[in-house]
Amino acid sequence: MDSPDDQASLFPNEPERNGLQAPALWLVEPGPESDVVVSSRMRLARNIDGFRFKARFADGEGERLEVYLRGVLQEVDESLTYHSLNDLSKNEREALFERHLVSHEHVVDEQSRGVAFSADGTTSVMVNEEDHLRLQVFAPGFDLGSLEQKINALDDSLAEHVTFAFDERFGFRTSCPTNTGTGLRVSVMLHLPALAFRQPEGKGSGAERDIVRMHNAAQQLGLTVRGLFGESSRAEGDFFQISNQITLGKNQAKTVEDVSALTEMVVDWERRNREAFQQEHGVQLDDLVWRAWALLTSARKISSTEALSHLSALRLGLHQKIIDKVDVGTIQRLMVTLRPGHLQLREQCDLPADARDEVRARLIRDTLLGSTPPD
Amino acid sequence: MPPTCNRCNSPATIHLTEIKGGEKTERHFCEECARVLHVPQPSKEIQKLLASFEPAHALSRRQSASLQKSCPECGMTYGEFRQQGRFGCAHDYDVFGEEVVALLERIHGSSRYAGKLPGGKSAVQGDRRSEILSAREKLSKAIETEDYELAAQLRDEISRLSAPPAAGA
Repeated sequence: MDSPDDQASLFPNEPERNGLQAPALWLVEPGPESDVVVSSRMRLARNIDGFRFKARFADGEGERLEVYLRGVLQEVDESLTYHSLNDLSKNEREALFERHLVSHEHVVDEQSRGVAFSADGTTSVMVNEEDHLRLQVFAPGFDLGSLEQKINALDDSLAEHVTFAFDERFGFRTSCPTNTGTGLRVSVMLHLPALAFRQPEGKGSGAERDIVRMHNAAQQLGLTVRGLFGESSRAEGDFFQISNQITLGKNQAKTVEDVSALTEMVVDWERRNREAFQQEHGVQLDDLVWRAWALLTSARKISSTEALSHLSALRLGLHQKIIDKVDVGTIQRLMVTLRPGHLQLREQCDLPADARDEVRARLIRDTLLGSTPPD
Repeated sequence: MPPTCNRCNSPATIHLTEIKGGEKTERHFCEECARVLHVPQPSKEIQKLLASFEPAHALSRRQSASLQKSCPECGMTYGEFRQQGRFGCAHDYDVFGEEVVALLERIHGSSRYAGKLPGGKSAVQGDRRSEILSAREKLSKAIETEDYELAAQLRDEISRLSAPPAAGA
């Protein structure tokens, strides 16, 4: 877990502002199956009976609802820290997005809206996102069982304080019909470098066959496979996300079961492809990993996309016991701290992309070579 | 003949129409090539779904009347909902009625909730209630179509589901 100093450095300008303590970087902790599964997440969409949805708020309704829900959240769990997004700087909002605590829509929206999060960064509740409430819980590695308990407990205690828009015909009524019913999204983030690897000549490989199998199986189970930051994002650094699409007619337990079933299959395929690749192309793999190390510890300018692809190679190299100069927590930490919001908070100013690339390269060198504390 | 992909000549499923300086160009791609070429795809899955669900040009008079349906609580019309893909309030589900049921069927393959009740008193009970509701619906259909054998089965199923759970279950 992060030290208090570490947390304060997320917002170096005003560490005490509104009592704001940055949430911990939970992603650096190891979790079950973490050679392949980076993290698990569950989200529930909930709306309050008697209030319109965001698309049709009456004058002042959004503001009233935010004040009301802020009070409710305080009563339900006083350990959560609440912030109105409009009171935070752009970089602070970005940094919360980079820690997966708020959505991108929540960062850029102008509506009265907020977020409550736990100090360990594994629980967040967005207020006035697309739905009145978006409850989210996270865990490192593959750990849906503990998340299910945790999110149900939060959901049930909220239900003691508010009346949700719910009926037995449609379930929880949500702003978008794709969430109607359980309002549940279960997602698992996976690191799949071996499955995603493409032979240069386009020769059909076992991995390509497995990627097709993964997409087919996902479709049959009503699941989807996407890139790192969810909707419409591409698989940067070979990070993929499996999540459910169906929320009506399928209950929570079955949804968790289906996501788990596909995840277990994919974990198995990824491991087999890693082994096969290492056996058949050992030198090529060693070369990839060591070049990634050389580049990351030498570059003077680097974009986040390039950095992510080399960190992906390092992560693979670690688990395949090719390199031991770095631990997986450091890689996970860099994957968050090299993003623009975190970089700019660290530098205490806004930077053009070029300057960010320089600062990022320095941060990565210093972190990997151990000359400064990692965050 | 249906258009073929401009890149590989397989059947095209993605069609781009660009109007620049008054000139219209049309391009067609298969899904694979669209992905490779980063052809912008409709960002909101739901809008695509809504469009395919009821092509605007094929609207019957009854359907165009349904576009005018408006919610007394929030003022949103079904037409606006179709454009934006977001409901204005929880009442829209009732106001837009069968259109919403058909849309949910299309998205989820079901329009009947299964899952916990608010407060989570008993997730099982929630599932059971929804099973009973669904069986009741089937029962009235069975009676309508005079399928009495099925109706009898459903009646038994409803009484089984309605019975309190056996001890230890």
